[in-house]
Amino acid sequence: MDKKKSNRFINFITNPKYLMVLATIGIFLAIYIFGAVVYGNKGFTKLRTFAMLFVDNAYIGISAVGMTMVLITGGIDLSVAAVASLTGMFIAYGTTILNIHPFVCMAFAIVVAIALGLAMGAMVTYLKIPPFVATLTGMFLARGVCSLISRDSISIDNDLIDKLAGWKIYFMKLNDAGEWVKIKPVAYINLNVVMFIVMILIGTYILQKTRFGRNVYAVGGNEQSARLMGLPVDRTKMMVYGFNGLCSALAGIAYSLYVKSGWNLALQGGELDVISAAVIGGVLLSGGVGYMVGTFFGVLLKAVIPALITFNGTLSSWWGKIITGALVLLFVALQQIVMTSSGRKKKGPKKKET
Amino acid sequence: MKSKESIFKSKLTWAVIAELLILVIAGILEPSFFKIEYNQTTGMLYGSIIDIINRSAEITIIAMGMTMVIALGGTDISVGALVAVAGAFALKFLRWDVTVYPTPGDYTVYPFILVIVVPLIICTLMGLFNGVLIGKFKLQPIIATLILMVAGRGIAQIATNGKQFTTGYTPFRFIGQGSMLGLPFPIIITIVVCAVVMIFVRKTAFGTFVESVGINPNASRVTGLKSDKIIMIVYTLTGFLSGIAGLIYSSRISSCDSNNAGLNYEMDAILAVVLGGTSMTGGKFSLTGTIVGSIIIRTITTLVYYFGITSESIMAFKAAIILVVIVIQSEPVGKWLATRNARKQKAGELHG
Amino acid sequence: MDRDVILTMRGIEIQFPGVKALDGVDFTLCRGEVHALLGENGAGKSTLIKCLTGVNKMDAGKIELEGKEIRPTDPKNAMDLGISTVFQEINLCDNLSVAENIFIGRQPMKRGQIDWKTINKRSAELLERFHVHIDVTRPLSQYSTAIQQMVSIARAVDVDAKVLILDEPTSSLDSAEVERLFDVMRDLKAQGLGIIFITHFLDQVFEMSDRMTVLRNGRLIGVYNANEITKLELVSNMIGKDLDDIFDLKRAAQKDGAGMMLEADHIGVPGKVENISFSQKKGELLGFAGLLGSGRTETAEMIFGVSRLQDGTIKIDGRTVKINEPMDAIMSKIAFCPEDRKRDGIIGDLTIRENIALALQARRGMMKPMSRKEQDELAEKYIKMLAIATPDAEKKIRELSGGNQQKVILARWMATEPDLLILDEPTRGIDVGAKAEIQRLMLEMCEEGMSIIFISSELDEIIRCSNRIIVMRDGKKAGELNGEGCTQADIMKIIAGEKDGETA
Repeated sequence: MDKKKSNRFINFITNPKYLMVLATIGIFLAIYIFGAVVYGNKGFTKLRTFAMLFVDNAYIGISAVGMTMVLITGGIDLSVAAVASLTGMFIAYGTTILNIHPFVCMAFAIVVAIALGLAMGAMVTYLKIPPFVATLTGMFLARGVCSLISRDSISIDNDLIDKLAGWKIYFMKLNDAGEWVKIKPVAYINLNVVMFIVMILIGTYILQKTRFGRNVYAVGGNEQSARLMGLPVDRTKMMVYGFNGLCSALAGIAYSLYVKSGWNLALQGGELDVISAAVIGGVLLSGGVGYMVGTFFGVLLKAVIPALITFNGTLSSWWGKIITGALVLLFVALQQIVMTSSGRKKKGPKKKET
Repeated sequence: MKSKESIFKSKLTWAVIAELLILVIAGILEPSFFKIEYNQTTGMLYGSIIDIINRSAEITIIAMGMTMVIALGGTDISVGALVAVAGAFALKFLRWDVTVYPTPGDYTVYPFILVIVVPLIICTLMGLFNGVLIGKFKLQPIIATLILMVAGRGIAQIATNGKQFTTGYTPFRFIGQGSMLGLPFPIIITIVVCAVVMIFVRKTAFGTFVESVGINPNASRVTGLKSDKIIMIVYTLTGFLSGIAGLIYSSRISSCDSNNAGLNYEMDAILAVVLGGTSMTGGKFSLTGTIVGSIIIRTITTLVYYFGITSESIMAFKAAIILVVIVIQSEPVGKWLATRNARKQKAGELHG
Repeated sequence: MDRDVILTMRGIEIQFPGVKALDGVDFTLCRGEVHALLGENGAGKSTLIKCLTGVNKMDAGKIELEGKEIRPTDPKNAMDLGISTVFQEINLCDNLSVAENIFIGRQPMKRGQIDWKTINKRSAELLERFHVHIDVTRPLSQYSTAIQQMVSIARAVDVDAKVLILDEPTSSLDSAEVERLFDVMRDLKAQGLGIIFITHFLDQVFEMSDRMTVLRNGRLIGVYNANEITKLELVSNMIGKDLDDIFDLKRAAQKDGAGMMLEADHIGVPGKVENISFSQKKGELLGFAGLLGSGRTETAEMIFGVSRLQDGTIKIDGRTVKINEPMDAIMSKIAFCPEDRKRDGIIGDLTIRENIALALQARRGMMKPMSRKEQDELAEKYIKMLAIATPDAEKKIRELSGGNQQKVILARWMATEPDLLILDEPTRGIDVGAKAEIQRLMLEMCEEGMSIIFISSELDEIIRCSNRIIVMRDGKKAGELNGEGCTQADIMKIIAGEKDGETA
């Protein structure tokens, strides 16, 4: 019985399907433990530090859920940060300047984002425009509209938004007197973190438990085969870009709760944060491979590096970018090795028929 | 019957027509748009047209390399970061020890030659890095260049310790702000770079090799071309050109700005290439078209400034233009147009 | 008998640009029958299958399934109608697990969720039937092509199919695996399924099929009962014997004492072609005959460095050479016109001039460009010499007809003035006139001292042109014949495996 269990365990570890995810988790733990050993005395191991990793990066994580799906289909979406920024503008301008109910603004932003996502999906699916170019156009458009709304940063002045942003779940403990008190230093999670975790769970459910989710993998694995197996390839791709639009809008909502303002230049280059979080999480940019759990840890791994640098205090914060770049390189190399060793043929750049 | 090349030429013609159209609209709205003045004291020509060409220098230079990257069926999204890298290293050598030189002025710490050569070497090596990943290790161009796009700005920041150095060193400022033969110096650089690249590409067999690998890599290999070498040369060249653009940019602002230098340049360069008639799917390319494409982008930008529209909303205009171009270029639309033309021709033959 | 008919196709016509891929083909399939579909490459087998599965749209004709007219729109639609297909190339997603590949698109659901347990259990059971015992939760990419082939068959079989199409299902299986597959096929046959079986292994055709339909050049040649036809008759029906009178050609005369051009000593790539030895004199035209997939192309690709030689040595002009990539072969004055013109030959968007100059330019190197004048002269010379039908040299090559494209590729290599020219199916898919011209050209070049390796599926042209003929079968050299006095029957006997001939 025990032997069977251990067999199953070895099987799990050596299964290349999970190897990338395990690598991400492993590297995250290694870095975290390294931080704990070196900066434990400065409070790196405190729950607060850990909770802040979530609080500060929730909006990236929410967007990464949609991005993961797009990447698994073999596509890419460069518009996510711009769309999130646009959502922020809608909320800031709507609530503060036009005095519209925040929920109406949010609903409007979500509808616009999904529509834009579907439009880009249609360009990719039906017009066969490379995803890179199609979503680049979407990014320009969203940024442009942002600037047309306002060139200046608008701070949000709305009670409901304040309430939503201020909502926190504190970590408590029992003190000697038997009362629940906040732990010190104060650690909490907020609405954004809840949204992040819920989206990861929803994403996992979609990818693992629905036919649509499995079609996403099939399309990314081999689009031609997927078509011949009778799977609805076009519909799947459209839905993925639409879903990613939704995620971008939710990320935008989270970001505006986080900074409580809207700015046309907010989240410049944010799409790269999201993409690299997914890649570090073991999502294959050529499609077909990736897990939400991996992306979850990818976001954390990407978040823990700046945290470490802050704790170090002497290193320039820019090392964060370099280390992120190095991690992307590491994971891309790892993927190449895993793919070659597991016999999966490299897919060359797709060529048009001459 | 006309051969297909005329259609290829007509893509360039279309770009030129578009540019002229934009200029005519500008001229009607604001006749002073075309005024060019000669300033006796600086010995330089002034005017919107000169300004457009001057300001398009960085994108034009980068887009020379990007044209061939795209002709190979790839993309290079690291060029903007390389612009920042070049600026950062140039300024690092111009002024490093703040205790020696507390304020910016007309001096340099290291010899001027280092200020120019080292950033160019670094950018060339970074280009080579991209090329090796793509040519030798067959990574997708987007991922391979994503690495330096992310890490590049970090490296630039480290080089300058996250500070924005400024400089008053005249020879360096001359690169972006000086003038020669009455023209702003960046224009001179652009002309020289474009000429050299065009001669290299069209007077050797390189251009044909790039097109061949971009159109049909399999057949190119069977014909004896070494595609990995060609890919590496193209990405290395693009890195080098980004370095030149970086020097011009940082000289213009007499400073380095690792956050914003070259921001979205990759997008502009790709747009210039596409506007110039080179298809995103690779194959035949036109460097002349790319130059026109780059000037179109700058004309729109200048116009938008000129008429007081916010600079950031240029993005929306660019999006609209790019949308029209790529939809027309897209495969299904192309097929639809072709069948429609064929049908028309057939109908014509029947009637005629 | 009529009661048993499950599928009828009548008067199927499909027009591709420039060629009629299918021309009035009829086909019937009965319940509980294995029906072989035979023909050489380009005969129209795949097109017929694609028409049945909705990949290609037919221009004329009618398909009836169980008496009702159907018009499949896509593979999914065909599958829903009860037509299940295992395509020649494995059409699965190798990033997914084995089990998932069998069930994707029709996963059993439980409470709105995919029921992974059932999927894994049922797939394991399904594969047991094929005696395949593997961990079905692992990604497909981890398993051999043979297993992958079994998985795709398992997927096709598990759907409630009335018609099962197997397109070259055995090409990557070893004999034990083939036997397992045949057991399953017999099972399915007993259950009343109609099976369309496409293969180029004639033994298997005779072992498994009840009837066979032979196609050639998009036309129906005949339908035969398995017990009423011999292998030899079948091969001659497939290959055809349309000797055209327009071919008035003579073999190149062999000079006495001509030196050796090429000596191949036990060359091979394990698993593809093995142990090939032959030699070729200067000025000799060496024909390679054999069915598709017998290793002809692979041999040529080894000599030219397209695929890297793993065993054996090659001598050119008496000297041992190492050929790792095409450039090395070009430097040894070898040239190669590949079989797949579209994929490996033409650079579609480049002009005729550029296409002709490319190989010579590649050999010269990048820094020694040919002037425009040189290129123009070169292009003009070969356009005239090969009678390439084009208004000028600036036309894009993809706008030319197949025959003219082939001539441009030929010109590309002639421009490098090779000592050894390898032509892989140079006459396929081009019209009779162009065919004759290319053959005449080959013979002229041989007369002038060039050595040529000529690979073709058409026996008559091989016999007509070759000084010697090497016959390939199953990745091995099966025999060698003298061109003079050789008959099609001699070659067919070796191809059919009735005789291992070394008459040379």
